[in-house]
Amino acid sequence: MARHPKERPPGWGAWSRREFLCRSGGAALGLSSASAILAACSNSTNAAGGSSGAGSEPVGPGGLPLARPDRRVKLPIYADNKPIESGLQPETGGTFNVFNYPDYIYGSLLKEFGKKYNVNVQVTPFDDISSGIARLASGAVTPDVTEMTPDNLDKVVAGKLIQPLNLDYIPNLQKNVWPELVSPFYDVGSQYGVPYTVYKTGLAWRTDQVKEDIPSMPQPFDIFWESQAYAGKVALLSEVRETIAMALLRKGHLDVNTEDPKLVNAAVADLKQLYSICNIKVGDVQYQTIPEDKAWLNQAWSGDMLSATFYYLPNKATGKLLRFWSPPKGKGPIQNDMWSVCKGTKKPVLAHLFLNFMLDNGHAYSNFINFNGYQPPLNEISPTELVSKGLIPETLTNCVMTADELGPTSLQEMTLTIQGDQLWQNGYSDFLAG
Amino acid sequence: MYPRWLWPAFALPGVVWLIILFLLPFYAVVGVAFGGIDPILQTPIPAWNPLQWNIGWVSDTLSNLAPGGNYWVVVVRTLEYVVISCAGCILIGYPVAYYIARHASRTKNMLLILLILPFWISYLMRMLAWVNLLAPDGFVNRFLMWAHVIQTPYGFLDGQSSTVMFALVYGYIPYFILPLYASLDRIDRSYLEAARDLGASPSRAFWHVTLPLSKTGLLGGLVLIALPMFGEYYTPNMVSSAPTTSMFGNQIDLYFHGGPQPTIGAALTIILSAFLVVLMGYYMLSIHRASKELAQ
Repeated sequence: MARHPKERPPGWGAWSRREFLCRSGGAALGLSSASAILAACSNSTNAAGGSSGAGSEPVGPGGLPLARPDRRVKLPIYADNKPIESGLQPETGGTFNVFNYPDYIYGSLLKEFGKKYNVNVQVTPFDDISSGIARLASGAVTPDVTEMTPDNLDKVVAGKLIQPLNLDYIPNLQKNVWPELVSPFYDVGSQYGVPYTVYKTGLAWRTDQVKEDIPSMPQPFDIFWESQAYAGKVALLSEVRETIAMALLRKGHLDVNTEDPKLVNAAVADLKQLYSICNIKVGDVQYQTIPEDKAWLNQAWSGDMLSATFYYLPNKATGKLLRFWSPPKGKGPIQNDMWSVCKGTKKPVLAHLFLNFMLDNGHAYSNFINFNGYQPPLNEISPTELVSKGLIPETLTNCVMTADELGPTSLQEMTLTIQGDQLWQNGYSDFLAG
Repeated sequence: MYPRWLWPAFALPGVVWLIILFLLPFYAVVGVAFGGIDPILQTPIPAWNPLQWNIGWVSDTLSNLAPGGNYWVVVVRTLEYVVISCAGCILIGYPVAYYIARHASRTKNMLLILLILPFWISYLMRMLAWVNLLAPDGFVNRFLMWAHVIQTPYGFLDGQSSTVMFALVYGYIPYFILPLYASLDRIDRSYLEAARDLGASPSRAFWHVTLPLSKTGLLGGLVLIALPMFGEYYTPNMVSSAPTTSMFGNQIDLYFHGGPQPTIGAALTIILSAFLVVLMGYYMLSIHRASKELAQ
């Protein structure tokens, strides 16, 4: 990947004599050497992607300031990566490539978009956003638009993998979207993306199996640590950030972006207690396993129980057994996904129109109800309306988010410094090792 | 006469295949393990030149593999699962291979076809089938309840080590039986007849003639199943998904799957490969000794 000289990590380029000896010595010793000898000339934290800026404020990859709900960040526009001009005609013909999670967009909508603009719309799936970004960076894929997450936004902006938007082409952003996400804290002015879905993290369970009144517990997350009776049927999300954040929140630590090793390690130690309590499992298929009675209690996203209700109920009666709880505003994480236009697109105007298309009330609603199950942040969608239409049972009303759950006092798992990211990943690895 | 290069040239496609599909990708993993990380995108920057290798990730990972290190528990568990699963394959597979090689006459071809039948269905599908069979309302639980062996459904899929090992045995046993069968089938019956003529009982003839002569097939089958078992992550995910049953491959998967340290995933991979090379070395040595003994 092309890199600006200023962005080169320390040690890039010329070597000191010591570095040369260390590296060539290491190469000669190879694997057969003892780790202690190797450690003498090692550098395992050389990913110098920035941990603190010129001042004392921590910065993320690319040296961009770390956005938080109470710390709004306006991302830079680079001279060699500017938005397209207004008033251009959309490109037609050929293939329009959407880079996305598998099964995360309604195929009928893609067909409709393709028909409208005379293009063949194709979805290229990725397993997870990190591997998606790696593929974008390597040039292995050249999509027109990509799914993105706010905690990865600064990486792809600094890496110039996505291009800034010209919002003249996306009037639905102002017209239909929750005000808080028209100009979100992580991208003031929506320069690089528009919101796609919103969700919050909490607990999901079946009332026929789990007898405790979880919402009435002083700390509902404690249910995991009191779930001996449900051993083998209890699971956490298979997500580094979500899992450790839950253990932090349980102990009253509200900073879900902390980089304090003591806090993170203590949270991991708490999670490890769950081995003996309930032989805890990890996975992200709770939308299916809970309605199918294969799991009884799960850490879950709000969209999971909506998906469960829309598509995975073995019978209608099961829908009434499903429950979801999430912490009140400012006490539990909320997240959103986004759409961005790829830097290398050959159809930039059409890519903008795609973003606008997905923010159309009718299309976003159709995507939500007919396929995705994850809610778009539209003014038009309200929990009571979904209940009154019979789409979800009243007991799952709290799965539907409202605009007032966002704001400076909300919690969102956001970009960490590279050292912080490593700390969290190593903690999760420790938990996963059993 | 044929030119001297003709016969070696037959190996060329295989060599090219190995270089393109094994050596180059493996060197890419080595390059990642000894390389760096892009400071912006946190993607690996492979170090192709050994003189530029950064050994920090590998040395850190090695130290975490030692007793008390982060990976020690998972290393021990993986060894335990592989050893027990290999033992299970021997216990089940050896009699099957022996029967087909020595005693099945008319049914031999049919049995061989049955042995390769699992290869017609993908590993994923076979594991998914077991997930359904072992589910609380699956056939296995229903049968056991019908037979009054259990009163309530047993949680086979609730994070049990035994289920993971069972799945490993089930998944890999055909790979064990086939080379073992080939080895047993090649044993000259006259050796056994000589042993019996000299007064050896059937069991002594087996222990002193058949078993030693099938050693290469036995080791070959074990190598064939043990190597992929060490890197397993998919089977424990499918039938358990509990951290208490995770294997070494799950750690590799975690670090490669995303996050800021793909280098650790690569380091774990080459350390595992180095360990497997030792196993392979023992296998090669055994083969060498066995062929020397046969020649004598």
